Amino acid sequence: MTEGKTTRQILQEKETSGNSVPLYNPAALEKIKKDFDGWLKETVATADRENWTATPHNILGSELPRELIYSPLSNPGFDYLGRLAFSGQEPYTRGLHPNMYRGRTFTMRQLSGAGAPEYINQRLKMLLGHGATGINLALDVATVQMFDSDEPEALGQVGTVGVPIDSADDMAVIFKEIPIDKISASIVTHYPRNTAIVFPMYLVMAERRGVPWEKLAGSVQNDFIMENLVRGACEYISPKDSFRIQCDNIEFIRERVPRWNYVTLNGYNLREFGTSGTTEMAVALANGIATIEEMLRRGHDVDFVAARLAFFWSLGSDFFEEVARLRAVRRLWYRIMKHRFGAKNPRSMWMRCHVQTSGGSLTREEPMNNIVRSAYQALAAILGGCQSLHVDSYDEAYSVPSEESSLLGLRTQQIIEAESQATQVVDPLGGSFYVEKLTDEIEEKILNELDEIEQRGGIVEVVADGWLHKKVAAYIEAQQKQLDEGRIKVVDRNYHRAADPKMPEIAVHHYDEATGQQMRDKLAALRQRRNKNQVIKTLEALKQACRNDGNVFAACVDCARADVTEGEMRRAFTDAMGTWSAPGYM
Amino acid sequence: MTDSKKIRVLLAQFPLETHTKGMITVAGMLRDAGMEVVLLGNALPAVIARAAVQEDVDVVGISSYCGGELVLGEKLLALAREEGIRQDVVFILGGIFPPDNAAGLMKLGFAATFPPSAKAEEIVGGIKKALAAKSAG
Repeated sequence: MTEGKTTRQILQEKETSGNSVPLYNPAALEKIKKDFDGWLKETVATADRENWTATPHNILGSELPRELIYSPLSNPGFDYLGRLAFSGQEPYTRGLHPNMYRGRTFTMRQLSGAGAPEYINQRLKMLLGHGATGINLALDVATVQMFDSDEPEALGQVGTVGVPIDSADDMAVIFKEIPIDKISASIVTHYPRNTAIVFPMYLVMAERRGVPWEKLAGSVQNDFIMENLVRGACEYISPKDSFRIQCDNIEFIRERVPRWNYVTLNGYNLREFGTSGTTEMAVALANGIATIEEMLRRGHDVDFVAARLAFFWSLGSDFFEEVARLRAVRRLWYRIMKHRFGAKNPRSMWMRCHVQTSGGSLTREEPMNNIVRSAYQALAAILGGCQSLHVDSYDEAYSVPSEESSLLGLRTQQIIEAESQATQVVDPLGGSFYVEKLTDEIEEKILNELDEIEQRGGIVEVVADGWLHKKVAAYIEAQQKQLDEGRIKVVDRNYHRAADPKMPEIAVHHYDEATGQQMRDKLAALRQRRNKNQVIKTLEALKQACRNDGNVFAACVDCARADVTEGEMRRAFTDAMGTWSAPGYM
Repeated sequence: MTDSKKIRVLLAQFPLETHTKGMITVAGMLRDAGMEVVLLGNALPAVIARAAVQEDVDVVGISSYCGGELVLGEKLLALAREEGIRQDVVFILGGIFPPDNAAGLMKLGFAATFPPSAKAEEIVGGIKKALAAKSAG
């Protein structure tokens, strides 16, 4: 994949420090050093001197050691223009836009909840009515796994954790009376295969409503790591095939739906599954690099491909680490796009991202405490300069969010935006001795982990051979041990745990069995009324595309027009491509 | 089941479950506690029931995060009985589910349920207690 050189090697060759202008003058540094040595010796207690660096242990943390205090001595060669500059300027450390949130506030994109298409339509209208500025459509588990509501595997799980979508008809119900030409919609299709199956249904819904595809704005995930590593499933296709579909999707959407973000490299679910904040980013960057390489191989220009690539991050509880992480990965992505790929369009160098607060950091014991956790994780996302945000609900450890808790997530965002004044000043933590040092260290750590993946043959290879599965499993085991031993402290769970935690009175979402029956009836009627010859013809064409390197997304659009169902398309993929045994975690 | 024999546990998930962290974590905990773990992964209730009988396990553990635990749990227990599973086999379930469904699961015949934050000692202890209760009853 990475022919010859790794990203680190390319950066080493192309980045020269010739123009570096250190911020601090040597005389000042010398004076500070003298003062520091005296302070360390005379004022700091021996115990603190001996424990100068402490390593934080945190849920999904990176375990980067921290010093007692930071100063100009932490970063004596600090080059302001080279490493920071101003917002909207290369290397974009301080933010993608000169005015950041003064110009345009972050998109408040709360997940839509779970239930039948009619119910979700109401829920979306409720969120938009309360000031949400984007849609974040969560799919039910059958739809995520690409099963029809009437397949045996879907029993009991239709309409859990999201909305069921079997055909383009369901899209029409979900988006009824919602201005799809004005609002941006994130359709949470995790995998390349379900992006290829479900997103065409959205496009066909738009077509039937007479809305041109050029007017549609939003995003899909379309990330093969989700399909081949993060999820559990009873059926997989190979990482190579998944990756190819990921690229087919990008190719079609880029050309035909120009305002759509065709790939959202999903660090979030990988991290929440069980990995550190730096690994989440290294893996997503490695996938981004592989994707661009593949698109170049297919003859596209780097700026054509990279301009609408987006990222999705999990933000946990180590406040400064999280702010620094967003700044670090923004700079690193710029460096990769500029020096490895020679991108010209500034948009191609932008690490645009959606952030979700960390579900894995939330507890079940005293769920109201989660409101506090999510709120400051959300603040970290804003101080880090994210583009859009979902704030997790306090009932996360019980069920999918209730309407009340979902609204509270939106209100959290609005309070930060309107009351905290944190959005008035761009990159308010920029220049902090600590945050800048941490940003540098995290950037270096991500680059090291990226290098390791590339040395092993690239992202598709490390997923296919199980190396990444094992890395994740080892991290999960280590975290669990630290939690059991109390080295990772979680308030109310293993630290200051109440002697007798009382079950709170919260109205959790319950699975409604009627949804399953309703969807099964709808499918039976659809199968009766549609043109069966068209169904057979378009499915055959999809299999042909799979076998002959045709664009599978284009074939799926024809299927969606013929009211082919999700499960039928899934089976066409597996018939043509075969299945893959995922490597074991143990 | 005698003390000298290792406790055999089948760990599985319902067919469409996307989350696997819980199952991996619990598998590690049980192995550390000296139990034998058969990791089935995602499977239809019928397949889980058959595997439980064929593998001659003492415990069937289900990891469930995506809902539907009552419908699928009921089906699993019914199919296990149809397959002629041993009377003393214990069924447990862990993961994310509405708290009041815990009582429903117990009523169906699950011996214990565990939240996502359950510690190794709670799960291992819970299994041993349930096995003791079964063999006494």
